[in-house]
Amino acid sequence: MTEDKIKNLLQQADKAARGANPVRVDISVIHRRASRKYMINLVAPLATAAVLMVALGVLTVMFRTAEPKPEQGKITMLENRIKQLQVRTNASLSLIQEVLEEERRRSRLNELEAQLASIPDPIEEMQKQVDKTAFILVYQADRLYRELNQTDLAIENYKRVIELFPANRWAQVARQRLSEIENEKSNKTNSKGDTQWKTQNASWS
Amino acid sequence: MAEKIDAEKHASNRRDELLVEQFRRGDKSAFERIVEQYSADVAALANRLLGWPGDVEDVTQDIFLAVFLGLKKFRCDCSLKSWLFTITINKCRSYRQKWKLRQLQDIPILLNGMGMRLPHTNTGVSPMNAEEFNRVRLAVAVLPTKYREPVVLRYLQELGTDEISRILGVSKNTLNVRLSRAKKRLKEDLAELIEQ
Repeated sequence: MTEDKIKNLLQQADKAARGANPVRVDISVIHRRASRKYMINLVAPLATAAVLMVALGVLTVMFRTAEPKPEQGKITMLENRIKQLQVRTNASLSLIQEVLEEERRRSRLNELEAQLASIPDPIEEMQKQVDKTAFILVYQADRLYRELNQTDLAIENYKRVIELFPANRWAQVARQRLSEIENEKSNKTNSKGDTQWKTQNASWS
Repeated sequence: MAEKIDAEKHASNRRDELLVEQFRRGDKSAFERIVEQYSADVAALANRLLGWPGDVEDVTQDIFLAVFLGLKKFRCDCSLKSWLFTITINKCRSYRQKWKLRQLQDIPILLNGMGMRLPHTNTGVSPMNAEEFNRVRLAVAVLPTKYREPVVLRYLQELGTDEISRILGVSKNTLNVRLSRAKKRLKEDLAELIEQ
């Protein structure tokens, strides 16, 4: 019952509100709006893409042709200076290394020279040994002659010294000894074998 | 009688399907025939859903623009009328939403802003004065959308439960619950008029 009354009220209100003129739908407007919408749907993405492409192109050109800003110039200048300083530092370092290497070489050379200086001269050493040998022979001959009275052996030794080391000073000593022995012998035996001794002596000298 | 109605409905659906098919094939006159056939119903529904503002030409135009753009995608799994009503409901919802945002959701302003005026053609069998009309209008306007739409479709469009539930996309139970609650509210708001 209530439902019917509500329905009745609503329908009365609807009838009361209904306009005298029926609604007119303009189909040409719909066609126009639909084609516009279609165009927007079709063209908008293309237009957006085109605008983006153009913007991208402009930005690329701008970035390519843009002059360096003052800050960029300063940075470039500082970078160049840093590079120059690096080059100079490298040159200085290489120079220092060369100097150090030279000093090291010199000190090594000094060391080697010192080592070389410490090595005895072989000729001198040989001379010493020769001298020593000659001395020993003369010394033994002296002992044979003076302490053991073996004059012949002593003479033989003296002669050997003269023969082996003629330029040595002990050869000179040996000659002196031989002449002394000769003098002594001549004094002891004035007559006996005097000629023979002289001949022999002459052949020694 | 029921068989005759069913046969008419079936024939109408066949005619609609044919029109849609013709439109799909590029026949522009098919759309004109659809407009001719349904513009009055669509306009009346829009007028009712928007709270009888009187002038619904712009909304109707928008609705048929949407129909024109979407008709090729219509799959004929419901009647063309139901589909048109679904579009109308959606358009009216968005229209009200936009309008509400503009008017700060104030009911008196809303009613004034919606072009509330006295009925200019009072041809009804039981005449309704301006005060009664405004009361009924206000009672319907303050109903939430989910209650107002079933009320309009049921009592003013006089559609069946199946069709309403299909148009609104809700189950029959939900629809019945909403209708019941809407009736309760209207009964409270229009108590004096109902008792008369």
